[in-house]
Amino acid sequence: MILPSAYLVVGALLFGLGLCGVLVRRNALTAFMSVELMLNAANLTFLAFARHPLRGAPSLDGSAIAFFVIAVAAAEASVGLAVVIAVFRSRGTVEIDALRSLRH
Amino acid sequence: MPVSLADILALLPEILLSLGALLLMMTEVFLAGARRGYQALLAALFTAAAFAAFLAQRGGGPRVLFGGFAVSDGFALFAGATICAGLLVTVVLGAGFLAPRSAERGEFYALALLAAAGMCLLVRAEDLLFVFIALELMSVPTYALVAYLRTGDRPSEAAFKYFLLGAFSSALFLYGAALVFGATGRTSLSGIAAAGGGKLLLAGLALVIAGLSFKIAAVPFHMWAPDVYEGASTPVTAFMAVGVKAASFAVLTRILVTAFGAPALAAVWQPLVVALALLTMVFGNLLALTQRNVKRMLAYSSVAHAGYLLVAVAAASRGFSGPSARGEAVSSLLFYLAAYTLTTAGAFGALAALERMGPDPQPWDLDRFAGLAKRRPWAAAATAMLMLSLAGIPPTVGFIGKLLVFKAAVDAGLVPLAIAGVLASVVGLYYYLRVVVVMYMQPAPLGSVPTPASWPLDLVLVATATLVLLFGLAPAGLANAALSSTGLLGG
Amino acid sequence: MLAVSQLGSWLPIALLFLVAAGLALALASVSALVGPRRARGVHDESFECGSEAIGSARERFGVKFYVVALLFIVFDVEGVFLYPWAVLFRELAWPGLAAMGFFVATLAIGLVYVWKKGALDWEH
Repeated sequence: MILPSAYLVVGALLFGLGLCGVLVRRNALTAFMSVELMLNAANLTFLAFARHPLRGAPSLDGSAIAFFVIAVAAAEASVGLAVVIAVFRSRGTVEIDALRSLRH
Repeated sequence: MPVSLADILALLPEILLSLGALLLMMTEVFLAGARRGYQALLAALFTAAAFAAFLAQRGGGPRVLFGGFAVSDGFALFAGATICAGLLVTVVLGAGFLAPRSAERGEFYALALLAAAGMCLLVRAEDLLFVFIALELMSVPTYALVAYLRTGDRPSEAAFKYFLLGAFSSALFLYGAALVFGATGRTSLSGIAAAGGGKLLLAGLALVIAGLSFKIAAVPFHMWAPDVYEGASTPVTAFMAVGVKAASFAVLTRILVTAFGAPALAAVWQPLVVALALLTMVFGNLLALTQRNVKRMLAYSSVAHAGYLLVAVAAASRGFSGPSARGEAVSSLLFYLAAYTLTTAGAFGALAALERMGPDPQPWDLDRFAGLAKRRPWAAAATAMLMLSLAGIPPTVGFIGKLLVFKAAVDAGLVPLAIAGVLASVVGLYYYLRVVVVMYMQPAPLGSVPTPASWPLDLVLVATATLVLLFGLAPAGLANAALSSTGLLGG
Repeated sequence: MLAVSQLGSWLPIALLFLVAAGLALALASVSALVGPRRARGVHDESFECGSEAIGSARERFGVKFYVVALLFIVFDVEGVFLYPWAVLFRELAWPGLAAMGFFVATLAIGLVYVWKKGALDWEH
């Protein structure tokens, strides 16, 4: 039996990992994957709360939200990867530190 | 979920925008000839129709749509009409800017219309799930738009930065929404307000505010804005500065006032919003001071304006002001959004009209404005009018906007914040008026090649400057419209 | 019911992890201590099945693969919405059919766009 709180702890850990990843990692793709991690952490939290609500009866609302989030995240990911490809084509690297043509 | 035909009809503006986007995509694959001027016309027609649909829906009382996912109230209609006005300017700017650079494609307009549909849905969202989907419908096409003009390194770099920070802020918002859902068991804004909650709710509230602060580019969540605004092609920058900001402000206000409006919760978020407003006004203006690059200057200026708008949000807090003061604050926010949209879109139009074609390390330097008064007196006069409005000098609409916002702040008991706002706008005078001084006092640098005039860009300049002056001289109509448009948030 | 202290029931799993890690470590060190070491010739080849390892696995792939993969993911995930609708087909009745028809038509327009733009064309 896995306890409800475990899902929340895993969700918070994933979210924290993703957050650190975006802030620390210097590779565009890794940073991008970290953002996906954060979205999935939110999804896990929604599902955990839908299955084991703090108040009231379990409802399908949280599960429905997870569905929509997955679809939206896929659309976002495809545009994001297209942008990364555009960056790679224009300068041959996806290291974030190399992106400095807009600094003053 | 009961869905009636009336619910679907209420979404007519968004439906028009989406259909227009799909149609434009299809023209690009089936009718793509050498002449593409009709695409801008088509986009402008659909935008104007959506604008008219918003205006036509005014007058009825607030209505809940789709069993509580969205609403149709005065606030949503006013904000939606403002967004459509910004989109219209963007479309005309796009036509005038892209055609001479042979970059006019149906996709540009399709993406802009889709993003605008997302914005219009966002301002009427009444449920956290609906907010998230509309937020992404607004953001994802905008990421693509930033990368639209593929010349040199800048657009793709700006698009990547915008995408990464945008996706990051969406994730922050979503995790916050998950925590709010956990604390209350609800996702509808009114349901959250009714349920209340403890520490978990506060954590969710903080994350929701942080996520939306990125979208409105409030200090300290603004660092992406100057880079992205500079790297995107100028019509897209205009669209981001007006559309994305207006829609994000509308939804932020609705969430804070509706879902977290209880006095105990307002006591938590109002100081946060006051701090954000203060930081944003001060640093936005100070950072703009040093910019010789006018595009970057306007980017920081739009950060500073987010600060003034945040003053109105803070004043709309339920815990500290009575119903009439709250209605006043919400209506001042709406008025300021409309004034800001007109002025900022016009200012970026001036920039687009002067931008050098072809590769150039400094296409937006202040020197581009030198001697404009001699060369094209009308364009110079219009630009001067827009700069005065950004600075908040009478007789322009920008002055009335600032007046209403600061008055609402004083009436809500936020006197120190209002004083800080006035002082910050005095700092702003310097860099806006410097553009005017350069236009009228400095001769054009030797050997500079003027950008050829383009009638859509001139149209934008003259139209926005005229409206800015008109609403500045006779603000009563717009102000009354804003006052009667507070919808579910006022009273 | 969501107290973190209840994580105590994870103890068996933690024990399992410890035992597994210890066993792996022990076996690896025993084989390293006792086993003969002859690292040359046929020992360095990849083991029997599979093809000869040539070059690095981190090769560049053509961008067209990414484009097709992205398009697949997007259409695949959007297709997920069909399942709940199909389950509730009778209850949703005509309004549901109309809504889903509009949804699928929108997806089809996207597909037509992608197709006509040549993004599905392998050869170019």
